[in-house]
Amino acid sequence: MELLIVGGGLAAQRCIEVLRAAGDDRPVTVVCDESVRPYDRPPLSKEGLLGPVDTSFRPEGWHAHHGVELRLGVAASALDAARRIVTLADGERLRYDALLIATGARARALPGVPRAQVLRDRFDGERLREALLAGGPLAVVGAGLIGLEAAAAARALGVEVSVIEAAPRPLAGILGPRAGAWITALHRAEGVVLRTGVTVERDRGDALELADGTRVPAANVLAGIGVAPAAAWLAGSGLDPSGVAVDDAGRTGLPGVYAAGDVSGSGHWEAAARGGATVAGALLGRADRAPAPPSFWSDQHGVRLQCVGDPRGSAEHIAHGDLASRCFELDHHLDGRTTAVLLAGRPPSALRTARARLHTIETITRRAA
Amino acid sequence: MSLIARIEEDLCLAHGDCEAVAPEAFRVDDVARVVGETADDRLREAARACPAGAIVLFDADTGEEVDA
Repeated sequence: MELLIVGGGLAAQRCIEVLRAAGDDRPVTVVCDESVRPYDRPPLSKEGLLGPVDTSFRPEGWHAHHGVELRLGVAASALDAARRIVTLADGERLRYDALLIATGARARALPGVPRAQVLRDRFDGERLREALLAGGPLAVVGAGLIGLEAAAAARALGVEVSVIEAAPRPLAGILGPRAGAWITALHRAEGVVLRTGVTVERDRGDALELADGTRVPAANVLAGIGVAPAAAWLAGSGLDPSGVAVDDAGRTGLPGVYAAGDVSGSGHWEAAARGGATVAGALLGRADRAPAPPSFWSDQHGVRLQCVGDPRGSAEHIAHGDLASRCFELDHHLDGRTTAVLLAGRPPSALRTARARLHTIETITRRAA
Repeated sequence: MSLIARIEEDLCLAHGDCEAVAPEAFRVDDVARVVGETADDRLREAARACPAGAIVLFDADTGEEVDA
């Protein structure tokens, strides 16, 4: 039962880890368009900008030793699900019994500013680090997690940093106004110039001109304006080339074809880790585990942020500490339920009790249903 | 004080930070496992590094949970 994995990121690696830990030794082939063995991406926008770090999941030779063939530096170009064949960009055709699509996502380019860099892979990270070390102010477009983390890392390198965000506050897609105000204050206290509610009008070469006419110094530009599933290669396969839909077990609906991670729109690291493990579980014939609540973490200016649950659209209530400090818990309530907790600078035990607050509510809801 | 570490396997997402901090005490495959002993301050550092908050520390003498 050959398993073919297209994509060599976290979801791929976690699927392999769970299979091998369960004693499953089926042959696995990983096809990845990057030319380095699978590595972890979160450090790219954090400590990876401060100095070289090796974020490979496993040492050289681990995959071969565990019966995993790595086909690096070559992309997949087509899927023929009826014949169970994946065609590679070099024309080679690989047959599979089971296929895991884990091609991740591509960073969106910034319209009108072709010199803007993105931060998605190891190459992007090295390029941005070199640009920052070469000096000059950095303009970050987009106050999402990647943009804010990169801004914090650039400040740590002593770089002048501006962040430009079209929404009225940072992380507006996931967090509410109180959390947004706290993040704004954190970045301003650390010397980041944060401009919200404004867009980039044009590139002036050494500065970005904003829609309100102001100019932001920009020797370097980083675009952190989101990602899109890297699924274009699936055109004509029967799967949606704008993103692959999956069920709770990671199945796509095509026989033997699974998907996990950003290509299925999962969004964050933790979802990709769970997605890869879920597919391994399905291949092993294990019963589905109850889905865990979504979660993410971020490190900015030496403060660890952790969020469990889905905070979108909820009212924010302080549950511990205060928002004038760098240590608090912010509960999120919706329809009388605790839907999420955002923690800043809190110890590990606080994260567990925060999860328990969600769990209690879920149990009550289930009983009432 | 002497500390004992335990992994909450339901919470562990195998980020790998504990092994990066204290490889003598933790190994991460599909989940993290405690594989050895180390100094208390290294256990605390590993517990604080874990993004999932999955490392629980106990006082070896009293058996009570302690904060990292």
